[in-house]
Amino acid sequence: MKMDNIISIELMAGVLISAALISIGVIFLFLDGGSDGMSLAAIASGNSLVNSAGFGIPAIVNSAENFQGLGFIFIGLIALIATPVVRVVLSVFLFAEEKNWIYVAITMIVLFNLLLAIFIVPGMVSTKVVIPQ
Amino acid sequence: MSFILVFIEILIASIGAGFVGAIAGLGGGVVIVPVLTLFFGVPIIYATGTSLVSTIATSSSSASAYVKQKVSNIKVGMSLEIATTAGAIIGALISAFLYSNHLTYLIFIIFGIVLLLTILPNMSKMSTEMYERVASKPDWSTDLFQLRGEYYDRNLGVKIKYMGVRWWLGEIIMLSAGIISGLLGIGSGVLKVLGMDWAMKLPIKVTTTTSNFMIGVTAATGSAIYWALGYIQPFTAAAAAIGVLAGSYLGAKVLVKMHSSRIRMVFMVVLSVAGIEMVLRGLGVA
Repeated sequence: MKMDNIISIELMAGVLISAALISIGVIFLFLDGGSDGMSLAAIASGNSLVNSAGFGIPAIVNSAENFQGLGFIFIGLIALIATPVVRVVLSVFLFAEEKNWIYVAITMIVLFNLLLAIFIVPGMVSTKVVIPQ
Repeated sequence: MSFILVFIEILIASIGAGFVGAIAGLGGGVVIVPVLTLFFGVPIIYATGTSLVSTIATSSSSASAYVKQKVSNIKVGMSLEIATTAGAIIGALISAFLYSNHLTYLIFIIFGIVLLLTILPNMSKMSTEMYERVASKPDWSTDLFQLRGEYYDRNLGVKIKYMGVRWWLGEIIMLSAGIISGLLGIGSGVLKVLGMDWAMKLPIKVTTTTSNFMIGVTAATGSAIYWALGYIQPFTAAAAAIGVLAGSYLGAKVLVKMHSSRIRMVFMVVLSVAGIEMVLRGLGVA
């Protein structure tokens, strides 16, 4: 079946791309001794306050454009999270091609849950993290 | 540079966690969280965030292989992901509630208990690994959700046809698997296998590989919320994602050649100790 092969390739490509981006980011981070004006100590300590909530998409893109380590690491992590999401989007089209409408509907429900988690739910909860110092 | 050393330490520990996880038949997540919290002093909030994104990496890479070998059942996986993704949202929201109300110790206790419960069925299964109770009669859900399939069994050299039943029961178990995944930042593969193996009576080869296939989407749902809440610390996550990925790859290679279950037993005992440690940490004893 064609579907198996497309999904198999997409999953492996997503993992390899994200691993490569994260590795590049780590190398930049160590070569520069920090990233985005922050010291390595501020970024690397176990209870560091540098986390995913502090970086919006524009900040991440800006960081990567300036060849900063954190930008690449964050894009790599986003690519990783996006890998299964892309798999679900692909599945909608692949089931549609097979005219398997019940599975088009099922896959769209899964996609709906994913989009809910990405775009709607974060706005519903306070984004304060309690990091024990 | 001491921080390069820290990175290498987390990387090596993650390779170990991925390796042990693969050999013990668990994901890397359930191993990496105790390692990060107990040995590296990483706050559990970052440990679970790190674990969840690492889980996507291991799940996607192994699912890629299983899907190509046509062992995973994409339809079974897809239809059950309705419940796992919904559960992951609920679980991630519960975790946000617990962390913001200073109930972090509950996460430790629940994590320890889940880890111990995860190991138990694996230990008892070791002696009776060849059992197979597959469904013989279809029910209403078998045809509606197209739960029939076949795969090629390499050991037996034959094509095996199978069918799934009790889709609704599988769906209920998947909802709880999703909640655990979103709450603790793990793949909760054992619950997923239970849902397909026990509830839907699918063959074990199909359940384990389809569980793997589903873990990626479940973890991505939780990760999206974790991301917004700031549970993902880039430095730790970078080291762990690459480490766990490499470790589980190595573990899977070794597992194929390994016939002795004694090594698995040793790892399970180590993991039980980690589970007890987590509970004690939560209770404030350790």
